[in-house]
Amino acid sequence: MTTTTPSWLIDSEIGLCPCGCIGKRKKANFVDKTIGGAASLMRRVMFADDTAAGAGLLQRIDARVKVLTLIGLLVATSLVRHVPVLAAIYLATLPIAAASRLSLSFFVKRVWLFIPIFTGIIVLPATFSFITHGHIVVPLGSWFGHRVGLTSQGLHSAALIITRVATSISLVVLLTLTTPWTKLLAALRSLRAPKMVVQVTGMAYRYLFHLLDSVSDMYVARKARTVGGATDVKQGRAFVGASAGALFGKAHALSDEVHAAMISRGYTGNAGTIDRFRLHARDAVWAGCCVGVAVAVLWWDHVIGR
Amino acid sequence: MSSVAEHSAIAHHTTDELIVVENVSYSYLERFPALDDVSLTVRRGEKLALLGANGCGKSTLLKLLDGLVFPEAGRYHAFGTQVTEDNLEDEQFSRAFRSRIGFVFQNSDAQVFSPTVREEIAFGPLNMGMANDQIAQRVDDTLAMLDIADLADRAPFQLSGGQKKRVAIASVLVMNPEVLIFDEPTAALDPRTQQWLMELIVELNAAGKTIILATHDLSSLGQIADRCVVFSEEHRIVADGTPADIMADRQLLLSVNLIHDHSHVHLLEGPGGELQELTHSHDHLDGHHAHDHGGRQPL
Amino acid sequence: MHIPDGYLSPATCATMYGAAVPFWIVAGRRVKKVVRNRYVPLVAIGAAYAFLVMMFNVPIPDGTTAHAVGAVLIAVLLGPWAAVIAVSVALLIQALFFGDGGVLAFGANSFNMAIVMPLVGYVVYRAVARNMSLTSPRRAVAAGLGGYVGLNVAALFAAVEFGLQPELFTSANGTPLYAPFHLSQTIPTMALAHLTIAGGVEFVLTAGVVAYLQRANLPIMRINHRDVVDTDDELIPARPMGWRWAVVGLGVMAVLTPLGLLASGGAFGEDAPSDLDLHRYGLSSVPSGLRHYAGFWHNALFSGYGFSDDRHPVVGYLVSAAVGIIAIGLVVFAASVVVRSTRGRRNRIDLTTTAT
Repeated sequence: MTTTTPSWLIDSEIGLCPCGCIGKRKKANFVDKTIGGAASLMRRVMFADDTAAGAGLLQRIDARVKVLTLIGLLVATSLVRHVPVLAAIYLATLPIAAASRLSLSFFVKRVWLFIPIFTGIIVLPATFSFITHGHIVVPLGSWFGHRVGLTSQGLHSAALIITRVATSISLVVLLTLTTPWTKLLAALRSLRAPKMVVQVTGMAYRYLFHLLDSVSDMYVARKARTVGGATDVKQGRAFVGASAGALFGKAHALSDEVHAAMISRGYTGNAGTIDRFRLHARDAVWAGCCVGVAVAVLWWDHVIGR
Repeated sequence: MSSVAEHSAIAHHTTDELIVVENVSYSYLERFPALDDVSLTVRRGEKLALLGANGCGKSTLLKLLDGLVFPEAGRYHAFGTQVTEDNLEDEQFSRAFRSRIGFVFQNSDAQVFSPTVREEIAFGPLNMGMANDQIAQRVDDTLAMLDIADLADRAPFQLSGGQKKRVAIASVLVMNPEVLIFDEPTAALDPRTQQWLMELIVELNAAGKTIILATHDLSSLGQIADRCVVFSEEHRIVADGTPADIMADRQLLLSVNLIHDHSHVHLLEGPGGELQELTHSHDHLDGHHAHDHGGRQPL
Repeated sequence: MHIPDGYLSPATCATMYGAAVPFWIVAGRRVKKVVRNRYVPLVAIGAAYAFLVMMFNVPIPDGTTAHAVGAVLIAVLLGPWAAVIAVSVALLIQALFFGDGGVLAFGANSFNMAIVMPLVGYVVYRAVARNMSLTSPRRAVAAGLGGYVGLNVAALFAAVEFGLQPELFTSANGTPLYAPFHLSQTIPTMALAHLTIAGGVEFVLTAGVVAYLQRANLPIMRINHRDVVDTDDELIPARPMGWRWAVVGLGVMAVLTPLGLLASGGAFGEDAPSDLDLHRYGLSSVPSGLRHYAGFWHNALFSGYGFSDDRHPVVGYLVSAAVGIIAIGLVVFAASVVVRSTRGRRNRIDLTTTAT
């Protein structure tokens, strides 16, 4: 069986223009962004794995206790109505982060970069008197005869929401960066979360990265084939549709294979588990501290007044 | 089962014939034929290799042997009892069957689906209903045997191909099956891991396990098989013999697309007296060649 | 549309969890019933897929990119209840393992994106795609439409959840404790963003993937469309809805006509000159043109929709509705008779000409 090689494959193409006009820098397009997104996902996971394996304070606490105390503190945070109290909770997370071998600059950046700032931008209009009525403390002139300015209620509300968002994220980050995700799942299971849900979540997380590789491959291959300027939007959208579609095909085929592998080892729909959780004294101490903090914080909030 | 079927089942089963496949046919989605009137018997302690080009049906036969697909025609008996979709609905039969046959899939990524290596290996015994402390012991033993104890708490997506293969094999071995099925075991493995795997297979067979594997890689055959069954591209079995006989039949190998015109298969006797293969290919300018075999004589 | 922690009060969060739980339970049961022990690998990998779909950057015309949610896409491919679980698990992974989206707000996020969106979007999809074959390109459009509508309804729910916060959770001196924008602000803002950009992106992604799979991998579409024919040739033409449905529809509308009486004012632009509120429009007297043409048509059969003495206005409306329907029906009937007879005459002429 011989092949006939088309002539254009044998001819040589025009190479790079010697004057260097080809290859101007252009805005990151959807291909680069998706590749970047995939890469940053992997980086975060690897970073989380590293920190979770560290020898810090929170890493040594039992995962179940961490989950429960975290949720308790989150609820307390959401009940607090005064900025100073919220700020105190937030500040308390910093030494805990340090004790758990998390670099503080990273911790602050991770929490503040993006969501609280984003929140601030969203909430900014709410500080104005025409959104949040009340006592104007920063007058900004008048508009059609009505006084306009920033109200104290608006400013207070903005401060509340920003600190609350920052504190909540800090608490969740403390949990996720100091607990291996497998232990986290096992903790949820141990705390009576439905077995199926935990099993599905674990398997989804495991195959997330496998499929992510497929996505990266598709997009890097696409990037390698992209010659010249930005892609036509229509073509770009067609590629996104095709790559997402191809990914689904792979995902579905994979689920068939996984199913066969599970059946082959006796799976009938009910899976047991081998959890190895043991409580230590330090877990009780930590739990006690968190409960104490939550109570103190809520009491302080109540005392400050309505 | 009818009394006639029962009778022939008992008549078929001697303690030695573990696997009996009779005239099975199977098509995917009722349209794409995969097996055409295939019959096969496997005895305890054999090392059987299924040979054939891609798509000839060997993988499908392996799946059939593991009770993952069921024949449209013909019958399959394992350990003396017929294996049907209905039978496997019975929990006791299913447990007994699945713990006695272990399947190592070609795609280790699909086989290693649990969050950690330890959980993966424990999956099989957990489904068999074993006690937790017994499971923990077995898992530790298997981890040690396959030299992956340091990977116990790692996630699968952090493992290399060779490591995943070890985990996949461990997850099957932990159930102590009598029959081990491998689908293209050496595919996508680096040479050192390939060698390790082949030695492991020989070792397991020496310990009494029956090995059935499917491969289209001829270069390791003498080591890991004492019997070869060849599939044609028409999804039928066309030959059944020792590796030496099969390798010597160049016409057969060409006709089933296992080798091409320019490839050569030499079966050599190695230093320890064991059969080794040398498969290679090169151009023929004059239809004839002669080259050095390193001092050894081709058979 | 991921809501972080801090925007919603704990009471709202708890309510949303409570609202989500029954749907989760039903979804779990439904999916298990259909796929039995294939449930775990199928839904798990569906969840991984849902997670990744949210990561895709979709190019939009101005040169930037946006993200879609993809919940309706998963519903179209795997079924609505499987989508509920898959998207919920994807959101759980985002919240718990990656810190995107709140943990307390997980109930609300799930309710909006994993429950309302796929269920509503799927209903729309199935309604629009009722008589289309599996390979019909219009089916991809129907899927896109489902995604668009699903996303916007989800956005509406989110807007309501936000907008209720300052109404319900404010301190004594008027400081909103959680999200500060009122319903009258959140609804238009979120609606604008989602009716335009976000909705468009969702449409593009959902329709794009369905169109691709129709071309490249039709068997996979079969998973959730077992009773849909493959090509247009195999379509059984749908029976047109009978005239009885038209009568029902008209009847319902006729019965509802007196609803307008609930409003205190009159319809805009329909006042007689004598009823005009001149002061409101800054006028000193009725404009001359208006006065001249106001009583232009003198030959109305009935003056107004009520009885002459304005008693029993509801009955008056119902009678007017009946009279109007009968009158229009007669006109349409007469027209159809005329059309049929002219067409019949034309056909006879054709036959005679071709015969020669």
